[in-house]
Amino acid sequence: MKLWMLFIPELYFLLTAAAFFGLAMLARPNPRRDYFAALFLGGVGVVVALACVKLEGTLFFEAYRVDLFSQVFKAMLSMGFFLVVCLCTELNGIEERHHPEFYLFLTTCTLAMMMLVSSVELLTIYVALELSSYSLYILVPLRRGHGIDVEAGIKYLMVGASASAVMLFGLSYIFGVTHTTYVVEIIQVLPSIITTPAAIVGLLLTLCGFFFKLAVFPFHFWAPDVYQGAANQVTAYIATASKVAAVAIIMRMVALSGGTSAYLVDVLVTLSIASMTLGNLVAIVQKDMKRLLAYSSISHAGYVLIGILSMNTTGYASAIFYALAYLVMNLCCFLVVVKVAHDGSDLKIAQLAGLHRRSPLLAMTLMLAVFGLAGIPPTIGFTGKFLVFTAAMEQGYIALVIIAMINATISLYYYILVVKAAYLLEPDEELPRLAVSMPTKVLAGVLVTIMVVFGVFPHHLLEVALAAARVLM
Amino acid sequence: MTSSWFQDPTLLAAMLGALLPFVSFVLIMVFTRPYPKVSAAISVASISVSLVCAIFLLSSHWHLEHPIQYAGKWLISGEMYIPFGFLLDELSLLMLTIVAVISFLVQVYSLGYMAGDPGFARYYAFQSLFAWAMMTMSIAPTMLQFYIFWELVGLASYLLIGFYYEKFSASEAGKKAFVMTRAGDIAFFLGLLLVLLNFGNLNVLDMNSVDVTARMSPGLITLSALLVFGGVIGKSAQFPLITWLPDAMEGPTPVSALLHSATMVAAGVYMFARIFPFYSNSASAMAVFLAIGTITMLLASTMAMVTRDIKQVWAYSTVSQLGFMVMGLAAGSYFAGVFHLTTHAGFKALLFLCSGVFIHEYETNDMFEMGRQGGRGLKIPMVCMTIAAAALSGIPFLSGYFSKEAIMGALANMHNPIWLVAGLLGAFLTAYYSFRLIFIILFPSKIEKVHHAEHGGHASGHGHDAHHHAGLYWVMAWPLIILATVTVVLGFFQTPLENFLVGGHHGSGHGGGHHAWLPWVAVGLAVSGIGLAFLEFGRKGASQVGFVERVEPVRALFAERWYMDHFYRLFLDYVIYGIFSNLFTRNDRRVIDGGIDGICRATVGGGWLLSFLQSGMLQYNLMVMFAVLALVALYFFF
Repeated sequence: MKLWMLFIPELYFLLTAAAFFGLAMLARPNPRRDYFAALFLGGVGVVVALACVKLEGTLFFEAYRVDLFSQVFKAMLSMGFFLVVCLCTELNGIEERHHPEFYLFLTTCTLAMMMLVSSVELLTIYVALELSSYSLYILVPLRRGHGIDVEAGIKYLMVGASASAVMLFGLSYIFGVTHTTYVVEIIQVLPSIITTPAAIVGLLLTLCGFFFKLAVFPFHFWAPDVYQGAANQVTAYIATASKVAAVAIIMRMVALSGGTSAYLVDVLVTLSIASMTLGNLVAIVQKDMKRLLAYSSISHAGYVLIGILSMNTTGYASAIFYALAYLVMNLCCFLVVVKVAHDGSDLKIAQLAGLHRRSPLLAMTLMLAVFGLAGIPPTIGFTGKFLVFTAAMEQGYIALVIIAMINATISLYYYILVVKAAYLLEPDEELPRLAVSMPTKVLAGVLVTIMVVFGVFPHHLLEVALAAARVLM
Repeated sequence: MTSSWFQDPTLLAAMLGALLPFVSFVLIMVFTRPYPKVSAAISVASISVSLVCAIFLLSSHWHLEHPIQYAGKWLISGEMYIPFGFLLDELSLLMLTIVAVISFLVQVYSLGYMAGDPGFARYYAFQSLFAWAMMTMSIAPTMLQFYIFWELVGLASYLLIGFYYEKFSASEAGKKAFVMTRAGDIAFFLGLLLVLLNFGNLNVLDMNSVDVTARMSPGLITLSALLVFGGVIGKSAQFPLITWLPDAMEGPTPVSALLHSATMVAAGVYMFARIFPFYSNSASAMAVFLAIGTITMLLASTMAMVTRDIKQVWAYSTVSQLGFMVMGLAAGSYFAGVFHLTTHAGFKALLFLCSGVFIHEYETNDMFEMGRQGGRGLKIPMVCMTIAAAALSGIPFLSGYFSKEAIMGALANMHNPIWLVAGLLGAFLTAYYSFRLIFIILFPSKIEKVHHAEHGGHASGHGHDAHHHAGLYWVMAWPLIILATVTVVLGFFQTPLENFLVGGHHGSGHGGGHHAWLPWVAVGLAVSGIGLAFLEFGRKGASQVGFVERVEPVRALFAERWYMDHFYRLFLDYVIYGIFSNLFTRNDRRVIDGGIDGICRATVGGGWLLSFLQSGMLQYNLMVMFAVLALVALYFFF
């Protein structure tokens, strides 16, 4: 096997990016052409990423490792990309002449995150992270003239830049104490000196860069504004694929500590609790659907951290499972957002009123997804939460699990408000039925099936997650 | 196990037989509800396959060495795991076959009885649900699985009793049945928990082994046996939870035949037999069961003597016969109880199905009305019903005779003769009320030839209709003939069945030989019961007023079911609603609702407060970010 073959998924997405670059050069905008091109390329991308799941090896002077862990995440990322593209049938939030650019940056962002999950060298990690962030910095203000988009874009950039600065600072510390930038070597040195201030502060500050991606407290400030300000499809991408990548890299970095630092656990516990509580409480008072999802994502970042801070195989596996569950459930929510607000506007929760009559399928999809986010069986969200909590219980973090459960109860309140709006409230004036195209119906059906089937039979998925998590240890 | 399930015909048949009805239930409810014919076809096809599977299993395991058990893990929680699977032994195979046969016949019969009903598809869906639940329950390897499907059977029963839900009395009857059986089930579940906690295992075979006495104290065994028996009381309508069963007759007649006589209510007795060795560990519990069975049998017989509703008679009779089975089992004869369950399933289903033909034809439940309109004109149902009534009364050599004699033999072996006397009195009463009904229909005081439209008047104009009707009649008649045949011949299989069930080691039950006089007395009493019925109802110019009906207070007592429903009403009104509901409602309003409202308001308030943190000021946001980081870093030094 040739070495470059290990790089096939990334190469493929690079070529895709080039293709969209070419399309962007063409004079006449043609949204249908761009959409079908993206759909086709994205679909093939999923196949390519899945075909490469079994690959293993290292590239680029050991800076780049291809293993089950990275390949599973690459498959998830390509799936996220494809599914977000599926939502782009009516890309009304973005001007038509910018559509190729939209797909281009979506592709580069996916490419960057794929590289991020495979990078095992600090500078490579940093470069990959920044590439994905820059793509998003551009995607957010691409939205057709609202004014709020620019504000959101700047806010995103500023918070992101600050987080990057902090992270670079932390990286320099790690390099200082370990004299290497290779994760493989760091992992041998760092656990023994993790109790020294320089090492632990370095690791912590490094994590900040990724906490920003995941929107963990206190790096969450961008999330509500960006979610609301960006085009619906871009928000969908930020809320799903980019979260998955962040989970992956945080796991890789936390694994560096070797699980021996009580201090790191304390910090993670604190941040996790703060994220959950803040996210859930503030979500209660939201009126805008995307803002609500933003706060919900902040609280879910807290849940995922519970799995990660358990720092054992089951913990990492549960976090991987949770990331996938979150990807699917959130995509369902955004599917509904995109379809109900098909003119590309923001969606108020009140606008969901009467959805069960306007489109029973979308209402059901939304209900299942929201129940999943709340953690109600038999959805995949319940299984995810169950696994994460079990992992934490194994480590004896009972108080943390109880707090998380109280939080899950609080979250039920606003999730049920959404369901109530969709099912029980009647709109002021009679709204026409929503035209849901066949592919959308199929997509909703597939997502719902995944949510329910893997919620009831998580076994196979969990096996994959466990195998991927073992690579980390 | 997973790799070889398709190679093992036994397991394959068990899975297929138990699961197909469920598949058909889902198919009908999800896809084919608008198409009644397709739905019925799916349901009947699946029950036919189940029947074939059941018969295959029974015949291939006729000489069973030891029970076959298949179990897969279903739930695991810490130390305990809950298996889910099949247990095939003599008893479960027999029950499986009974259920499959009766279900099949009733579903075929229903093709005629329910034809044209707007809820036809729904009816078959529920029938399939019932078949699935009941068959899986029959072959459950653990009491927990047994309990789960026991409740599912209850659900199917609720749905089918309230099938004509637009009728108020039907939905009320459904609720009553559900709530009253639940009352027993609570005790059942508590008993199971008690066994689980103290014995650590709810496996049927383990519960039946001698380990139980070693691991549980006698008092505990008695307590848990009594509690578990609560399930039998509820499901089999034993005293004091009798009255739901007669009310359950609001459902369609085939449902009454299937659920409320032959199979579902017999599930209680089946459960008794299922863990019979467990119960036998406690002599005092068995004495209580015997008393309950006896009281039930006598009470229900008296009720059956005065009612005019044909289905009510058979309902009371069912209760009384179930009590009789409990007596047989409680007297220590496992075989006698199970044998009577088997024969009873056949002839009682037959009685109901025959009654169904009359009800369908004359659109009334009143037996006097049926007689008046010329009920005896329906030859096949009339003959079949007479055969079944004779079997019920214990006339030789029909199936009921053998099984009743077996139970009488067991009762005669008891030291206290009162049980035998009660049993014989029951036999007399049974013969009396059965033939009271037969004679009323057969020899009415006057016959008005009110022919029904389908028969005479319309025949010329709607030839197709008449033909159609005849077809339906035969669809309904064939199950009757088959069941009648079973009723006639089943008794002669007593010895093989006994060898199958009890095996070489003889149970204490078979006591007929020791009491040569007993069959004569029993048959004599049955015949005198029939004779009395003939005197009062059958002979020319008979007054058609029974001896109990001449004494008004007694008639009222019997007709009002010994005022049991009144007692329930008073109990509910004063004790449950008056005391408990009242207090709990207040607690709910003040303490719980008030507390929850307070917590909710505080939570939402917290949300508002925190949302001010999220102001649009970027500098401020970044400041918070760095402040938190600084605090976290500081924390390290403490």
